[in-house]
Amino acid sequence: MKALAAEASKLASSPAVWIAAAAGVLVPGVIAAITASSALGAITRGTEANAAIDTGYQELAFGVAGAIILGVVGVSGEYVTESAESGGGRQITTSLTVVPSRLRFLLAKMSAIAVSGALLAITATVTTMGVVRVVLGEHAPAWGADDVPRLAGVVCYWAYTALLASAITVLTRHGVVPLAVLIANTSVVSVTYLLTKITPLANYLPDMAGVRMFIRQLADSTAEISPLTGCLVMTIWVTVLLVIAVISFTRRDA
Amino acid sequence: MITIDNLVKRRGSAKILSGVSFRARPGRVTGLLGPNGAGKSSTLRILLGLDRATSGTALIGSVPFVKLRDPLATVGAMLDGSGAHRARTGRAHLRWVARSAGLPRARVDEVLEIVGLTNAASKRVGGYSLGMGRRLGLATALLGDPEILVLDEPVNGLDPDGIRWIRTLLRERAASGRTVLLSSHLMGELAATVDDVVVVNEGKVVADGTLDEVTGPYGTLEDAFFALTTGGAP
Repeated sequence: MKALAAEASKLASSPAVWIAAAAGVLVPGVIAAITASSALGAITRGTEANAAIDTGYQELAFGVAGAIILGVVGVSGEYVTESAESGGGRQITTSLTVVPSRLRFLLAKMSAIAVSGALLAITATVTTMGVVRVVLGEHAPAWGADDVPRLAGVVCYWAYTALLASAITVLTRHGVVPLAVLIANTSVVSVTYLLTKITPLANYLPDMAGVRMFIRQLADSTAEISPLTGCLVMTIWVTVLLVIAVISFTRRDA
Repeated sequence: MITIDNLVKRRGSAKILSGVSFRARPGRVTGLLGPNGAGKSSTLRILLGLDRATSGTALIGSVPFVKLRDPLATVGAMLDGSGAHRARTGRAHLRWVARSAGLPRARVDEVLEIVGLTNAASKRVGGYSLGMGRRLGLATALLGDPEILVLDEPVNGLDPDGIRWIRTLLRERAASGRTVLLSSHLMGELAATVDDVVVVNEGKVVADGTLDEVTGPYGTLEDAFFALTTGGAP
């Protein structure tokens, strides 16, 4: 528990983590405001009957970028090297001399990142859905029983994505590459999505499967995956990558 | 007591350490001396469980470092630089370290006072000078008031005042029966600080004894060092 408290303290005192949190809340919130007002325009003009079923959820699928940043910087911060003039030290040496068990250290770090990712998801969800409801008013999609598992799915997706990003960064020991690749994949060009056009198997990649937990109308879907199956597939991905990260981390010199 | 026994470390085809053995005893300051690349840092990193030895053992008391129950209260360590992330403040760095051992926040302010960083505690580590970073590293090592200090090049980057200060601090720790193991490539600063000397060169121990024993025939520690590490007379 002490190791977990130390990791939580590290996250809370890191400016990069607060940037991640701001991105995680603002990105989906702002996009939701834009898409909801254009939807409102379409509804009042009569070209659309009502808002799409994925209103708000679609934006939260983008906002997961905040969880990616969180997961990456939570690990890469350990490996940032001070300038040569400052002695060229790295935080990881301090971390492992105060919590010598590699396994305990990594489990504490991953737990802190998963919990933070979930808290960030809850904050982003409340904000995004709030924006949707404020903008669309009576035209906002009505809450139904299906929204409970969908909202839980958002939280799960964000926490899992933060863990995937962390596990990859444990392997690279550097934040730039995982950050660039993972962020580009969720925002600019979704490579995983394009792959689904080539092979239906790509639907089982972690992000493509994971979004099924809360997205109901995936554009040009090439496979039917239920929310529960999507959750299961992403759980397997996260577990496998975490196991690889633990094996690598406990074997390599720090 | 620190017991290093026949440490061998290979990295690829390079042999970093080829059978390093020595002890660092309580109540004494032990200096691990050698030129850059001699294997001093590798020895300390293996002792602290950061790197894995190809063979041999490094023990704190009777257990390896990674098996210690309360590491921060047993061994205080300082390696390169400050060991802190540059975006964090000095105080925030010490706070997470304190949390890892369940130490009270007040202890953070105490060590900041001891190393003279109280006024810079709210500044980000990225803005610290080399000397300030070293002081922060030392504050981290002192947090748990440990029995043993392991310091890699502690006087690097310190001004003459800082060097005198750290010398006094280390002498006091040893006088109270604690163990201090430090590495250095600076002979002049070390002669007045250490009781025992271990000289390493090219991954091997070339001399091991009290300061007098090692200095012995050479007159000064510096002359002894050059004679032992370059293989010829100074």
